[in-house]
Amino acid sequence: MTPTILVGGLTRRYRGQLALDDVTFDVQGASVTGLLGRNGAGKTTLLRIIAGHEFASAGRVAVLGASPVKDEEVLRRMVFIREDQTYPDLKVRHVLRVASWFYPNWSQELAGALVDDFALPLNRRIKKLSRGMRSAVGIVIGLASRAEVTLFDEPYAGLDAVARQVFYDRLVAEQAEHPRTVLLSTHLIDEAAGLLDRVVVIDRGRVVLDAPAGDLRDRITAEQLTLQQLVVRAAAGAGAATPERTAA
Amino acid sequence: MNTSTWVTVARYHLVDGISLTILPWAILAFDFGITMAVTDAVGPVKHPQAQSGAVFAIYVAFLVMGALSVFRSLPFGLAVGASRRAYYAGTTLLAVALAAVDGLALAVLQVIERATDGWGVTLHFFRLPYLLNGPWYLTWLTSFVLLALVFVYGMWFGLVYRRWNLIGLLAFGAAQIIVLVSGAAIATAAHAWPAVGHFFSTLSVTGLTGLLAALAAVLLAGGLTTIRRVTV
Repeated sequence: MTPTILVGGLTRRYRGQLALDDVTFDVQGASVTGLLGRNGAGKTTLLRIIAGHEFASAGRVAVLGASPVKDEEVLRRMVFIREDQTYPDLKVRHVLRVASWFYPNWSQELAGALVDDFALPLNRRIKKLSRGMRSAVGIVIGLASRAEVTLFDEPYAGLDAVARQVFYDRLVAEQAEHPRTVLLSTHLIDEAAGLLDRVVVIDRGRVVLDAPAGDLRDRITAEQLTLQQLVVRAAAGAGAATPERTAA
Repeated sequence: MNTSTWVTVARYHLVDGISLTILPWAILAFDFGITMAVTDAVGPVKHPQAQSGAVFAIYVAFLVMGALSVFRSLPFGLAVGASRRAYYAGTTLLAVALAAVDGLALAVLQVIERATDGWGVTLHFFRLPYLLNGPWYLTWLTSFVLLALVFVYGMWFGLVYRRWNLIGLLAFGAAQIIVLVSGAAIATAAHAWPAVGHFFSTLSVTGLTGLLAALAAVLLAGGLTTIRRVTV
């Protein structure tokens, strides 16, 4: 079976500095995969390359069996919501309208419900929104697009705990009704732990842990740790030659 | 290649309905108002070919629009699933459509200006000697090509800035100056200025429009080459 996302030997250098170093993993089918790691670990670079926004120095990325840089059809089946997303100088309702044109599975009903959940002012220009509100716009697009592949890079920057819980609840509900492949990069490891089917930890551009979340939960229980402690421990052992991997 | 995505990209640019459609005409209307006020203050223009050249404001507006259409709107366009090529094609499609409509409007205004003897004050606002002074269809064609050309040129500037930042933009500008200066130096060294002068002095407006169209195609190809490796 072709993996939904396939990353093989991916390397990215910026002026001699290694941002990603031989990253290899794949994501199969509808699931939520957590992409975890410290600041500067390479999570955003990895997501940007998967989305075709950035180019790899070496290695391979395939989404739905094709290169996101070369295959336009793949791009139409994918949405990428970034923490630092730059929006044009438009009102919120215009941004959502544009997004709805691009995605054939766009749910206006869900978009409307999320706008209400986050109390988004539809007639306010994006640049006048707070950071949290801008994040909420991204979440509305990410969920309402119902794209087969959904990439979230720190989607709730600036959102309060209540709003983040709204996102978690909506994501769980959406996965139940409209399953899709979600790759979620986050710092809020313990908070998001319950959402994840799989965990990939990146540190200094390398995958240091790649395991089903269920296995990690067993380990967490046995070792009386939190997921965050486990991730920190994996990152601390990043000097090891091979990443820690368990069977999916 | 998916032309429906091109149309979606074009619609994306027009979603607020103001910046690309109304703003250039608002600038031109303001420009026209100032010119009329000045003309009214100094009395009717006596010179048979007196013109302000202020109509070029709309071409400058198109240049800026082209740059902003890439610089400001590209990141979100790619975020919602447009490919670089589709984004470029869609934006070019929009440029062509806007140039056709606005070029026609300029031609109509020129006809009105001619019919009203320069808005009653013998003003040549929409008529420019040689370039925009022929029959309405030729004015339409020349305006269309010129508007599309400056939009595409602006797009290329925006793409260069997005790909290589300010340093790249400065290098891009410098490279164009070097090309022009080199061309002038070669013409001087080859004693070719009389031939150059003869070529342009005998060139018809239709011929010049064809040259501008060819230049637009070159600029379009340059922008396409640049966008292929743009990152956002």
